[in-house]
Amino acid sequence: MYCLNDQQVEYILDDIRRNGIELEDLQLNLLDHICCIVEQGLKEEDDFERFYHETIKQFYTRDLREIEDETIYLLTFKNYYTMKKIMMASGALSVFAFITGSFFKIMHWPGTAAMLVLGITILSLIFLPLMAIIKIRERTTLRDKLVVMIGALVGVLYTMSTLFAIEHWAGRTVLWLSTVCVSMFVLIPVYFFTGIRKPETKANTIVTSILLVGATCLLFTMINLHPGK
Amino acid sequence: MIFSSELIKGTFRTIVLKLLSDNKKMYGYEITQKLKELTFDKIQITEGSLYPTLHALESEGLVTTETEFIGKRVRKYYSLSPAGKIKMKEKISEFADFMNTMQFLLDIKTKTA
Repeated sequence: MYCLNDQQVEYILDDIRRNGIELEDLQLNLLDHICCIVEQGLKEEDDFERFYHETIKQFYTRDLREIEDETIYLLTFKNYYTMKKIMMASGALSVFAFITGSFFKIMHWPGTAAMLVLGITILSLIFLPLMAIIKIRERTTLRDKLVVMIGALVGVLYTMSTLFAIEHWAGRTVLWLSTVCVSMFVLIPVYFFTGIRKPETKANTIVTSILLVGATCLLFTMINLHPGK
Repeated sequence: MIFSSELIKGTFRTIVLKLLSDNKKMYGYEITQKLKELTFDKIQITEGSLYPTLHALESEGLVTTETEFIGKRVRKYYSLSPAGKIKMKEKISEFADFMNTMQFLLDIKTKTA
């Protein structure tokens, strides 16, 4: 059996790193694996470098980096389900707090504010960001990811504006105006021009864009631009 | 005949868990060689699917690891954790059930001695 020297081991490790393997654990696993194959198959008269490069080619179809990509995918896939569970639970809790808070409000019972604040906070700070992360992962193009990202931002701004308005907190007018501006001048154009390009989403995009413009305009009419009056 | 990777894909985790259950501890290369030996080369797993799976099993707590230094390189041994043992039994039972269903569905006659 051939015995690799330290220089040859270093050569393999450097090549693994150069080919895009960044996870240290994976580097070491691959290094040991390749060393085992080389030591089993290399003869004294063979050329080490040539044998190594022929061996490493069998590890991938495109490039070595795909092993790391697959590892990261499998590791995040586990978190994907955890995130989805937290998203569902936070959504359910938020809806429960909303309904209870609204009922308390109608009945003029104490605890209304606490319930609504809890519902809106969970919705905007846990549910919406998690939903955005999950949806971004599912989208393949950068444009689609951007639409989801801006959509989630507008969602968070909208819910926070509502919270500020019902609690009469300072800065509510600025927050409402920011929500309307981001929605009208960023979200709707990006959404419209992304969806209109695809024949399968064209009709749906036009209808949804009209609805979004309408909703944003209605929101704008509710803003008190002169709070002092 | 070497089985296609599509056939192996769904059972790969079960195979690794079972191998680790039958052997106290194993390292990556050893797993590939053992599998070749046991299946007479019919199942050949690639490094591209072995290490991502081992890392995923480790992060899920189904395997535990220990390292050994061999000169300038590090060898990582994998062994089954208590949670891994339970998972392995579940997976094998699920697969046995699946095989029975497929035998019925595809009308496969089992060989009798």
